[in-house]
Amino acid sequence: MTAGDPLFTTVGEWSQEELARSLHGDGLFIDYGACTVRVRSRAPGFTAAFRQVYRHFAPVRNADFTDFHVEIDPGKGVRRWLKPQSRFLIDRIQPFEPFAASHALPHYEWGLNWSFGQRFNQYVLLHAGVLAHADRALLLPATPGSGKSTLTAAMMLAGFRLLSDEFGVLRPQAGDLLPMLKPVALKNASIGVIRDFSAQAELGPTFTATRKGDVAHLAPDAASVALVRRPARPALIVFPAWRPGVPLQLEPQAPEQAFIRLAFNSFNYGVLGRISFEAVADLAAACPAYQLVYSRLDEAVACLRQLLDDQGGPA
Amino acid sequence: MSASLQNAVSRLLGVLREPASVHGLGLGDWEELIRLARAARLHATLGRRLMADPTLWAAVPEQPRGHLQAAINFAAHRRHLLELELRTLADVLPPGIDVVLLKGAAYQMQGLPNADGRIAADIDLLVRRADLDAVEAALAAQGWASTVSDEYDQRYYREWSHELPPMRADGHALELDLHHAIAPVTSRCTPDVERLFAALLPLPGSRFSVLSPADQLVHAVVHLFQDTELDGRLRDLVDIDGLLRMLPADDGSMRSLAARMRHHGADRLFWYALHYCERWLGTPVPAVLWPSPPPRPIRRVMDWMLVRTLLPHLPEARSAPDRRFAGELARLRYHRMRMPTPLLLRHAAIKIWRNARGLPRRG
Repeated sequence: MTAGDPLFTTVGEWSQEELARSLHGDGLFIDYGACTVRVRSRAPGFTAAFRQVYRHFAPVRNADFTDFHVEIDPGKGVRRWLKPQSRFLIDRIQPFEPFAASHALPHYEWGLNWSFGQRFNQYVLLHAGVLAHADRALLLPATPGSGKSTLTAAMMLAGFRLLSDEFGVLRPQAGDLLPMLKPVALKNASIGVIRDFSAQAELGPTFTATRKGDVAHLAPDAASVALVRRPARPALIVFPAWRPGVPLQLEPQAPEQAFIRLAFNSFNYGVLGRISFEAVADLAAACPAYQLVYSRLDEAVACLRQLLDDQGGPA
Repeated sequence: MSASLQNAVSRLLGVLREPASVHGLGLGDWEELIRLARAARLHATLGRRLMADPTLWAAVPEQPRGHLQAAINFAAHRRHLLELELRTLADVLPPGIDVVLLKGAAYQMQGLPNADGRIAADIDLLVRRADLDAVEAALAAQGWASTVSDEYDQRYYREWSHELPPMRADGHALELDLHHAIAPVTSRCTPDVERLFAALLPLPGSRFSVLSPADQLVHAVVHLFQDTELDGRLRDLVDIDGLLRMLPADDGSMRSLAARMRHHGADRLFWYALHYCERWLGTPVPAVLWPSPPPRPIRRVMDWMLVRTLLPHLPEARSAPDRRFAGELARLRYHRMRMPTPLLLRHAAIKIWRNARGLPRRG
């Protein structure tokens, strides 16, 4: 499953100039686990931000198969100089409106999520954070705004392997989860929460007033990046919901409840029809599921650690 | 055009002719093949053809197989939507009126092998001109509304086109094109609508009809070579290839197809279709089917243009100057085919004047 010869150096070890040269030229090939992406960019500011949040990724040299060819482009002709923008292009096609030039990195991350969600219908794509310990995976499916990314980030900082903060990439036949390892996009208050949570948090620049408010990205740690090609077996499903000031509540979910909530939190459940029905039903039948309501991140992390240690808790 | 691009295109054509030719492809070749097939909207078709042979399918490396499986899954979803949509439409359309499925919807609902993996963007329906108002009113009553609000554009469609502006309804995924002819009324080749209706075949188990197999070919040929700008339309040629292979190969059927093309005034266009089907897709073409060829200089120009427009290309190759010029030439040809020159000039003048005044453009 290797995608070519990895360079021995990570993005963080490259100089800004080397990185810019590659991004301006033939591009960098990044292995995200579920897919390999060729990224090119001439957008000002992209290189520096990219270098921060991809610091532990080792770009692949001579990728033998690239899934997505993506560019972040500062715009055409005179506009490029007068009013620079950030255009996201996949296969040279611009699927949506440009962003402000200063938001090139969030635009890339968002565009890549979109492309992956549109095109990778060979897998059931759950909207979930995914972490693992000893290849046993914890799925955190949730709707936007429920604190999924924050909890996912905290779990990684507490020593769990990060597979994804956005996609539970479920292989229908194998029933396992592939990493789709990207920088964790933290929004608004979560940025400070994570900075306070751990001194180890490697955060990129904060982009203010994007479409989703303020956004900063947490760099995946070296241990997670090292296992980017390694699938994990689902062991536990927890639906998280952050609510200010409440004591921690953990409530078991019956498999049929878990099934409905998983199907609801999926990008392509409707597209895949029977394939997703069966894969999600198997997943819900195989893993204990809980709803977790919490206000304190450290309590939530301790609770999830305990549940995962207990092989999924008292079923 | 670079040598590697040509290789990639001939590899795609080779795989469409003979799926087993994927044996021995390296991962890099696969990547180009998938990208080209996607550009031509043929990736699900390609996937279905490979999947039909389990040994072949198992030999496809994991990454390209993933892309093909994704396309196959998506195509199955679209097909399901199409079936749901047709069921809804069957209840909405006034009874007693012949409603004909065209193109993708027709191929899929007939279960034609060339439709396996085809992803239809919209639903094309044909009714008699006399029934147009009744059908439009019935659709409007159920929420189907024109996507074009501009008065001039509405008039353009209604007077000079062969279809109403595309219609949409809230909560429905597919766009609807309602036709009263299969080519613009102003165009050079205007197939005889009454003859089409006289030969309709009912679609078993449904309220819809389809054109006769020969007329489906007439439509596919006229559509591709007159009614499109040719750009990236290899898929339309693959449709024609599939329809040709479906016909009984006896002399009688072939002669009657040739006669049908002549009757509809489509034999020049049919020559091109046969020529490129045979050359690129290896379609068997019996001698009796060939109309007389176009003059050699015209063939040369068409050849130069079609290689650069109809065949897909990798996205990075898009801006080559010869390709741009070929695209402009194809566009010019398209407009000349669709409208007599005075009408074209008038239409262009109105469009330019309205654009200059900042009025909304038709899509």
